[in-house]
Amino acid sequence: MFANYAPLIVDGLADAALIFFVAVGLTLVFSVLHILNVAHGSFYSLGAYLSVVIGTFVAGRGWPALSFLALLISPIIVTLALGPLIERTLLRWTYGRSEALQILVTFGLFLILEDAQKLIFGVQSYSQDAPMTLLGTTQIAGIVYLNYQLLLIALAVLVAIGLRLLLKHTGVGKLIIAVVADQEIARAVGIDASRVFMLAFSLGVFLAALGGALASPTVGVSPGLGAETIVLAFAVAAIGGLGQIEGAALAAILVGLTRSAAIYFFPEFQPVVPYIVMLAVLLVRPYGLFGSIGLRRI
Amino acid sequence: MIHLKTFAAAAVALLVLAMPATAQSDKPSEVGFGVFTFTSGPAAAYGMPGRNAAELVIEQINAAGGIGGVKIKPTYVDEGQGTEGVVAEFRRLAADQNNQVMVAALSSGNCLALAPVAEQLKMPTFMWNCDTHQLFLKDKYKYVFRTNSSTVPEFVASALYLLSVKPDVKRIAIINPDYAFGRDAAAIFTAAMKALKPDVEVVAELFPKLGSPSYNTEISRLVTAQPDVIFSNLWGADLENFVRQAAPRELFTRSKVILALGESILQRVGTLLPDGVIVGVIGDGWWLSPDSQKNPQTKEFVETYRKRFNEYPVFPAFKMANTINAVKVVYGKALADTKGKWPTRDDLVAAAKNLKTETLTGTIELRDDNDGLVDQVIGMTTKDSGHPFPIMGDMVRYQASLVTPPVGVDPLAWIAKLNPSVLATLPKPGSYK
Repeated sequence: MFANYAPLIVDGLADAALIFFVAVGLTLVFSVLHILNVAHGSFYSLGAYLSVVIGTFVAGRGWPALSFLALLISPIIVTLALGPLIERTLLRWTYGRSEALQILVTFGLFLILEDAQKLIFGVQSYSQDAPMTLLGTTQIAGIVYLNYQLLLIALAVLVAIGLRLLLKHTGVGKLIIAVVADQEIARAVGIDASRVFMLAFSLGVFLAALGGALASPTVGVSPGLGAETIVLAFAVAAIGGLGQIEGAALAAILVGLTRSAAIYFFPEFQPVVPYIVMLAVLLVRPYGLFGSIGLRRI
Repeated sequence: MIHLKTFAAAAVALLVLAMPATAQSDKPSEVGFGVFTFTSGPAAAYGMPGRNAAELVIEQINAAGGIGGVKIKPTYVDEGQGTEGVVAEFRRLAADQNNQVMVAALSSGNCLALAPVAEQLKMPTFMWNCDTHQLFLKDKYKYVFRTNSSTVPEFVASALYLLSVKPDVKRIAIINPDYAFGRDAAAIFTAAMKALKPDVEVVAELFPKLGSPSYNTEISRLVTAQPDVIFSNLWGADLENFVRQAAPRELFTRSKVILALGESILQRVGTLLPDGVIVGVIGDGWWLSPDSQKNPQTKEFVETYRKRFNEYPVFPAFKMANTINAVKVVYGKALADTKGKWPTRDDLVAAAKNLKTETLTGTIELRDDNDGLVDQVIGMTTKDSGHPFPIMGDMVRYQASLVTPPVGVDPLAWIAKLNPSVLATLPKPGSYK
């Protein structure tokens, strides 16, 4: 029985892992800044591009193992270069303004970043395979899987646990929770909410770029990757409940598994499955699986 | 009176003398060509070789004096902007009378959208890469020509070759892009296989969307279906991504795989593909084919292309080069028909009718319905000590007439009538050498 469904589950979880990195960043930013960041997908693609460029550079010079380092360095570079800059120069002017304006600003940012990527990286497709080649393969239920795919699942679990630990057991996390719960009271007790906003946004950028970097060895990187990713991330965040880390994790698993099942049983429906799931969930729970109308928490 | 007669005679004489000069001055200083291909996005991996070839061939033609002394001025249009934008660009270019020819397009979807527009605007359009057989299936066009083969001969050739090298095939799986080209190919390949070997069974049929970055779940699904043969007409970066993701997962060693457009990525994936994968060029544009090797013009094109673009020209480059060279032939014919007067768009259309011309890799023949007849070259990957990537071995060159339904015959009905006995009469793998 397990042998029949094992491939479906493994594929679904590997898919879910990649979706989770982006969706959790999106949901974190929404939770703290109250902004639905349309440009979030661009950070994903920037992480992917940078990782491939650095990874292929080091692999081409005889150090393929260093391409693993590129997977970590790339999101850090993207975060340091763009996170604080965008939050301090662009987003801060939108706080407290209408949601329509916020969406328009982040959509404008998305368009700028997409064109900037074309200018910097060109329009060709990029790929790197050193990380997945180096890690080898494993057979599960008669099917060869890349160990890299299994590593992605493990990393997603670690990131989910790490985020929860960060929020619950560190000073920074507690500051974020305080700002999410009530910004005015947080400011009244001396918390620098602006700094928390910048940190939370940069963390969101890092998670998106990390998702892109980790995805880069298993996907082709080309213009349009960011747009495709953000649409899916929105669906996952909506299913889980905007602002909910556990919700994002559960929604990513749900979407990953249903997408995988669709490819196995109803391949025609695969592209629309995430949105069918989203519709079904929102019809029953309009605020998502973990969302609620009154309580603000993360 | 005498003076008047003398004056009239002189005027007539001057007019007659001036006529050749007037005809000469009809010629524009340059003629515009719209060249449509993908230069962005995942499809650019396939489209850029076409763009590069156009640049090279047009430069060569211009360096040799142009067409009848007129230089070609190309305007390149990126099909990556989507069909709506492509149609708008086509209309914009067609509105300029200096643009006389459109070399469009790469995508079957764009071709189907552009053909009626070309007809409406009376714009001579040479479809350099359109493969869908639907192009001339129902509609008759005067201004649209396909200097290329269609999905029917291309994927009937895949089925014929497969049954030549693996006659015992029972279970087939298909993974094609989710649009006209992929859907048509699946229907044609399946119909051909069922006609030629009625006991075959389709055990999986997947249509991932065009531009999909990941195929990992599809790869698992294909493996679990345990097919004898996997057929795919993925192309561009999609095909490259698929190969990069499938090769380490042993897909190519577990089943016989047909990559109908596989030659286009051989140089990019290097040694990832094992020997024995069936690869095609959907046409005859293989730079190492015997016909290419014995043609000095082709060898020069290959060498110039390699030096400039740092890779060998893959088959989309030949489709484009052959089309532009065919358009040059059309101009030559039109100039002869108009006795040196610069041809109008309608003159070009008249000259293109039933064109038959040599190309860098074989021949193009335009039928009564303006569809192209091009031979099909297909083979299998094999290692080659001269290159860091596999090349095509065990090649066959199927004559266009063998794999193309006659004019006016429904292609799927023609395929359904294919008789298994035809297999015994086919040229054998390795016969094209």
